[in-house]
Amino acid sequence: MSLVGPLILATFLFCVGIYGVIARRNAVLVLISVELMLNAVNINLVAFQNLLFPDELAVSGLMFALFIIGVAAAEVGVGLAIVFNMFRNRASVNVDDVDLMRW
Amino acid sequence: MTGLDVVFVLVALFTAGAAVLTVTSKNLVHAALSLAATLAGTAGVFLVLHADFLALVQLVVNVGAVAVLFLFGLMLTRAPIGREALDSQNRGLGLAVAGGLFVLLSGLIIAAFGTTSVEQVTGASIEVIGIAIFADWVLPFELLSMLLLGALIGAIMLARRETGESGEEAMATRIDVGDTPTAEGGVRAELENTTPAGQLGAGGDR
Amino acid sequence: MEALLDYAWLVVVLPLASAVAIAAFGKNLPWKGSELGIASLAISWVLSVLIAYQTFIMSPMEEPVEFSYEWAPMGSEFVFELGMLVDGLTAVMLLLVTTVSLMVHIYSREYMHGEKRFTYFFAMLSLFTFSMLMLVIANNLVQAVVGWELVGVCSYLLIGFYWEEKSNQDAANKAFLTTKFADVGLIVGVVVLSAGMFGLDTSTPFNIREINAAATAGELSTTTVVLGMLMIFLGCMAKSGQMPLHVWLPDAMAGPTPVSALIHAATMVTAGVFVLARLFPVLAQSIVVMNVIAVVGVITLFFGGLLALVQDDIKKVLAYSTVSQLGYMVAAIGVGGYTASVFHLFTHGFFKALLFLGAGSLIHAVHSNNMSDMGGMAKAMPYTFVTFIIGTLALAGFPLTAGFFSKDEILIAGEIWAGAGFATGHLVYWVGIAAAFVTTFYMARACFLIFAGENRSHHPPHESGKQMVGPLVVLAVLSIASGYIFSPVWTAEQNFETWTETEFITEETVYPFAADADEGGEAAGIPGAGGIQGDGVLAAGSEPSVLAAAEDGELTVLHGAPTWHFDLLALLLVVFFAAVGVAWKFYGKGPPDRDPTMQMGPVTTALVNKYGFDAFGYRYIVVPVRDTWARAASYSSNVLIDGAVSGVGRVTKNAAFATYRVLDQKVIDGGVNGAAFSAAWWSERLKRTQSGNVQRYAAALVAGTIVLVVAFAAAT
Repeated sequence: MSLVGPLILATFLFCVGIYGVIARRNAVLVLISVELMLNAVNINLVAFQNLLFPDELAVSGLMFALFIIGVAAAEVGVGLAIVFNMFRNRASVNVDDVDLMRW
Repeated sequence: MTGLDVVFVLVALFTAGAAVLTVTSKNLVHAALSLAATLAGTAGVFLVLHADFLALVQLVVNVGAVAVLFLFGLMLTRAPIGREALDSQNRGLGLAVAGGLFVLLSGLIIAAFGTTSVEQVTGASIEVIGIAIFADWVLPFELLSMLLLGALIGAIMLARRETGESGEEAMATRIDVGDTPTAEGGVRAELENTTPAGQLGAGGDR
Repeated sequence: MEALLDYAWLVVVLPLASAVAIAAFGKNLPWKGSELGIASLAISWVLSVLIAYQTFIMSPMEEPVEFSYEWAPMGSEFVFELGMLVDGLTAVMLLLVTTVSLMVHIYSREYMHGEKRFTYFFAMLSLFTFSMLMLVIANNLVQAVVGWELVGVCSYLLIGFYWEEKSNQDAANKAFLTTKFADVGLIVGVVVLSAGMFGLDTSTPFNIREINAAATAGELSTTTVVLGMLMIFLGCMAKSGQMPLHVWLPDAMAGPTPVSALIHAATMVTAGVFVLARLFPVLAQSIVVMNVIAVVGVITLFFGGLLALVQDDIKKVLAYSTVSQLGYMVAAIGVGGYTASVFHLFTHGFFKALLFLGAGSLIHAVHSNNMSDMGGMAKAMPYTFVTFIIGTLALAGFPLTAGFFSKDEILIAGEIWAGAGFATGHLVYWVGIAAAFVTTFYMARACFLIFAGENRSHHPPHESGKQMVGPLVVLAVLSIASGYIFSPVWTAEQNFETWTETEFITEETVYPFAADADEGGEAAGIPGAGGIQGDGVLAAGSEPSVLAAAEDGELTVLHGAPTWHFDLLALLLVVFFAAVGVAWKFYGKGPPDRDPTMQMGPVTTALVNKYGFDAFGYRYIVVPVRDTWARAASYSSNVLIDGAVSGVGRVTKNAAFATYRVLDQKVIDGGVNGAAFSAAWWSERLKRTQSGNVQRYAAALVAGTIVLVVAFAAAT
């Protein structure tokens, strides 16, 4: 199969994730969008794994993808903990409200 | 165009659609569920790409744990359930930037790999993956476990309610779990008793 | 004692020191500064006497004592000197100036007693004495001119002593400007002479000895000699009161009488004659110059004397008398009477000073200058009377007075000159005798008007004090005694002539133009012995500058020891008694109702109007200059120059102010403020990027990534 398909899909998911990061107001939705981006990367990696090592001489791409899944999980955990903290301090998870570092 | 391609296109369409739904849904829970769908679709893509182990891992970890975790998060942060506008005023900017990046990258990719095709892929068996993990990749593996441990402890630390701290907590954040039910009974009464300050993004100010 | 001559400069410097001292603290001294003046003058006088004695017994001096400091401001090209030249002529003048000055100093103590500016007067007297002595002792013409100008300044200051009266200011101005006008001639002459010296190998072209040496050696061109000496003579004309530049002398009588005695009788006015005597070797090269000098002198001696006939003011009589006697001296120079001229200068100084001081005594007694207010003073003021009479006799040339011998010598010089074939000699001889008649007449007139008859003053006069009479007596003695240095009565190896001989004027010196045909070639052919060397004019022991050996019948410059000229003596006695007789006839018994001198019709008118010189000067010189040049000068100075200066000031001020307003306030401050303002303006706009909104930051990050990707993609 063609290589370009998964790559375009990955790019699309990545860009959708970026849009979500920028355009969503809820902090949890931002985290969700980040999760999307990570998965897009995984698709990219697997596609290139198939391109580079089709004979399972090495499984670097798969490994990388596995680790990304693990790290993403950890990151979601910590991120949600931060969101809880934020929610507890100001009763809102609106990212627009967290702008003390403004002019 | 092989049969695999066709399958792939179908799965890809599903995934892409679910992703778009995630970021444009006006309902928070719908967005979270769409995420779950997207993750599932991604697992399907993995399958098409001969990465069956990864697909299963994806399903178990991402869909089973992460998506559920998001749902928990939405619940715990009083995600307003109901229709409301969840987008900030940066939509235009986001569209522009994301769109620009998509155009650029896809252009580059097509220019680079437009004619490349991958044939005869042997999907890696679990045995090979297992050997790879514990032989070539054992160090990152161990580090990952350390990372997970650190994340676990960190999350607990961050989300812990300070014992003995009095009163600065907003009323809305108080969740009485367990053995001190309020007179009106339960969380729902709590919700209805919240002060206007506690209303979360109700109505929203776009 | 010869070493004393090296210290002749002390004579000059002492009065200067006393002038400075009197000016500095004279007011606080018990005698108000006059003691300093008298003391310094006394010391100078003693020194002068010793120097005079020394030079006299050493005379004829082969070589004078010369000493100078040299100063070469322009490298070794051109050297200015400050020095002294001590020979017989110098000693004569030193003696004259210090003696008369000392007498005047003592006299002034009483005469100027109680004056407001007593100390200033004495300071000026000392300053004047210094200036005159510097002129006399100078060894180069520049120093002489400096002294000349300084005496002019002192004269101006002293004539204008009573400056509260405008007429006195005017008199001082007239004296100064007239002499200043003529000083142009003096300076031009000095420059011409020094220019003539430039062709010769010398670094001190102003040095008098070198100029004289060059002239005698015939190394100066005719143009140099004629032009130079005529110009210098122009200067001398005003200073020594020759016609027509004599006009300031009578007006100078506005000053105090001691000033008139010192400056305008004995010393300053003789400066002109002195310079002519110093440069005699130069002017002796040209018959043209000598003729001019003689003619001017003759005119002056006669017409000046006539003016004294119609004066009522005793000082004016004496002033015109001075003019006339100066004419005698100048005329003597013009006819080759070098010794006679200097001798008359010497004696005249004494008796004219005596006459002026005596007049001062009379004026002091009656408080008026006019003879019409005097009369019968003989009984009241015996000392003054006797000394005045002695002075009169000397002036008139009565035998055995000093004036007789000196005037005699002048007439004889004229005779000798005439004998050599020059017409001016005749002129001097006969006009001189005629003027002797006039002189005797007006002095007799004055004496009769003053001393005879009844007293016409407001209150009875009395004799003056000892300090005034003392100098009168001393001068009276000198008026008689000073003549014997050069008289047939006492001939000696050393006399006035040998005393004033110089290295260039010796017994053998002759005139270049007076050589006979036989000796023509010789005279022209002998080169100037001891010509101009590079460094010294005359090395010791070199031959004197002689043009030809004197032979019998040669016209030498020096006429040898005086002898009795009984024919002249008889003639002069006749003239004397005739004049006195006529005067006694008219004035013997007091002033007549109609003064005959006033009855001479057009002659009287001419005399009273002073020949119209003053009117001429006023109409054709003063008024045009005052109304045009002076106005233009004043305009250019006050309006143009001052306007330019203040205009510059104003422009500068405005420019400064504009600079402040525009450059400082607007540009610089604007720049500085603008920098701050633009920084604030930009920051106001740029701060909005710090929105605090994390999503925006993320968007910016992605946009940056896009840019980088494009960049890297394009680069490959």
